[in-house]
Amino acid sequence: MDSQVITRRDLLVRMVASFGAITITGPDGPISPAEARARGLELRHLTAVEGRTLEALCDVLVPGAAAAGVVHFVDDQLGRDNPMLLLKYMDWPGSYVEFYRAGLQSLNQESIARFGQPFPKAAADRKDTLVRDISEKSPAGWGSPSAPLFYFVTRSDAVDVYYGTPEGFERLQVPSMAHRLPPERW
Amino acid sequence: MVIVGSGAAGSVLAARLAQGGKRVVVLEAGPERHLTDLYSSQIWSRRLKWPVPQGETGGADPISMNFASGWGTGGSALHHYAGWFRLHPEDFELRTRFKRGLDWPISYDELRPYYDEIQREVGISGDAAAEVWRPPGDPYPMPPLPVFKQASLLAEGFKRLGLRTAPQPMAINSVAYGGRLPCVNDGWCDAGCPFGALANPLATHLPQAVRAGATLRHNAFVMRVLVNEKEDRVTGVEYCDVKGQRRVQEADVVVLAAYAIQTPRILLDSATSRHPAGIANSSGLLGRYVMTHTAANVFGLFEEETDNYLGRTGGQLLSQDTYAKDPRKGYVGSSQWLIGNALKPTDLLGIANSRPELFGRALQRFMEAASIHLATMTFVGESLPHPDNRLVLAGKKDRFGASLVRITHDFGADGVKCYEAGMKQGLEVFREAGAHETWAGPRVRMHMMGGAIMGADPKASVTNGYGQAHDLPNLFIAGSSLFPTSGGVNPTFTLYALAQRTAKYLLQNWRHLA
Repeated sequence: MDSQVITRRDLLVRMVASFGAITITGPDGPISPAEARARGLELRHLTAVEGRTLEALCDVLVPGAAAAGVVHFVDDQLGRDNPMLLLKYMDWPGSYVEFYRAGLQSLNQESIARFGQPFPKAAADRKDTLVRDISEKSPAGWGSPSAPLFYFVTRSDAVDVYYGTPEGFERLQVPSMAHRLPPERW
Repeated sequence: MVIVGSGAAGSVLAARLAQGGKRVVVLEAGPERHLTDLYSSQIWSRRLKWPVPQGETGGADPISMNFASGWGTGGSALHHYAGWFRLHPEDFELRTRFKRGLDWPISYDELRPYYDEIQREVGISGDAAAEVWRPPGDPYPMPPLPVFKQASLLAEGFKRLGLRTAPQPMAINSVAYGGRLPCVNDGWCDAGCPFGALANPLATHLPQAVRAGATLRHNAFVMRVLVNEKEDRVTGVEYCDVKGQRRVQEADVVVLAAYAIQTPRILLDSATSRHPAGIANSSGLLGRYVMTHTAANVFGLFEEETDNYLGRTGGQLLSQDTYAKDPRKGYVGSSQWLIGNALKPTDLLGIANSRPELFGRALQRFMEAASIHLATMTFVGESLPHPDNRLVLAGKKDRFGASLVRITHDFGADGVKCYEAGMKQGLEVFREAGAHETWAGPRVRMHMMGGAIMGADPKASVTNGYGQAHDLPNLFIAGSSLFPTSGGVNPTFTLYALAQRTAKYLLQNWRHLA
């Protein structure tokens, strides 16, 4: 009953080159999160330390997510009335900013307790070990949100920015089949 | 009349009542949306969901609230997957036949004409003859949608186990129908279909309602239902506008079609000194019997390319060989398989989250393989109604001053056993289909039903079989909150049929109600 024979290559060729990207509002108008990071735009909701910690975590979760601008994407969405972060599906009852702030603080505290260094400065293998551990359960003394929930949400953020964009579909050689492009401004 | 909610049920009622000459105002909590606002992006699609927490969710199996709740014109139906299935006759007689749960106050035979009417009007693609389990009903008006490689592979697994599959019946056009275009099978259904091929309210009943004179008012968040001095009739609703100003919309008839969270919340928030537990709650059952389907995806990797980016989010094929309730199975419950869901890399149901434990290079390797070789199917299982599965006010307020809710939910032993049997079977299907690696996703909660159930006995239910509140004759409820049982099928087709039936009742009895 395979009634349509369409090859991946056909669809990739049909992919729209200008398929809309994630953008955030920069001082001169909409720019991509990656560009915002490259230009060193100041974060509006997370502190610089929090930004560095989130970036280090997301780059462990999805290598390349840092350069794709995951921190600027999350920070920008935290200012929206109707944010597009996956966190909204988790029915988290409190402040979204506080969710990230508390999770990042717990991560750094755990890293310091184990390795004597905050998470961004820990060695790569130690980062991997810690991330593996928090994906499974909260270490003793870890606050709220729980470590597995924090892992799940930040991993999804990293996946969003790295794979949920036109570049992400191209990385996977997956036809996006996009029929209607997002507007320039998110 | 005023209708609260512009989703599936509210839009049908708005169209029918406006076409019947009634003055209709629809109050929608979220912003105005058009088909052109629906984009091919999982990230963007999150704008269609409820924007802020609606409360706290807990119990052994916490219900997901915001993932399923719509925000804006069309409500939840704007992002629904359009798998349209009929409940089976036994679902209406759970208590009578199996001594468990509840009965509906109506039978399948009473609802069947409304299934058929909605099916003709909206259009369903499918093959009724191939659905050997299907209850009596008219054949589908459109041929089935195409089947791609992912579903074909899995169908072979079912066949080797002696199980049957059929094209999934979907409210998605396989051919031009009702002035709407056919589907292009791009797999972006859950982000919202901008073509109108998928029957969401923006493409079907809301335009009808507006053409017939209904007023659709957005950013109108209903706080409570208002009652007269004797508290035996409703007089309208109070709502917050976009500026947070409280306003009143008077009405002869009020219909709450605000989904299974906000509908009971509004009634509980409408408490008066004489009715401190909320209005329409003389039974004490408002907020009780909250239900959700047990659900999970089974996954497998194949040597073959699966073309998993093609098709529809809801799937391509259906199997209901496990639907019939039989206590000899060790549980009471129905279930079905939705086979070959179109996949995208991201989001809650995306490829990356099929293996949430992977990160780093392992995740990247998996993504590269899975985007080409992954297949999946979705289990939908029944959850029996239980009064302790309950929505209450949490004692906290949202930004409008409306109450946040607290929901407690537990699938119970039957629901868990139904799910476990499904996972065992699902993994066997994948192995028989030739997958070299198979796994089951976690048990999740799909759809939300109950909380303001219909029933024959005013002491044991909130409304009668027409959705009319037992306590207040000009107050009606529409939508899945009415369901006394969940069955094992997605609820949308049934709530459309119920709304169609309620609309007819309202028009026929208007002079006694208004």
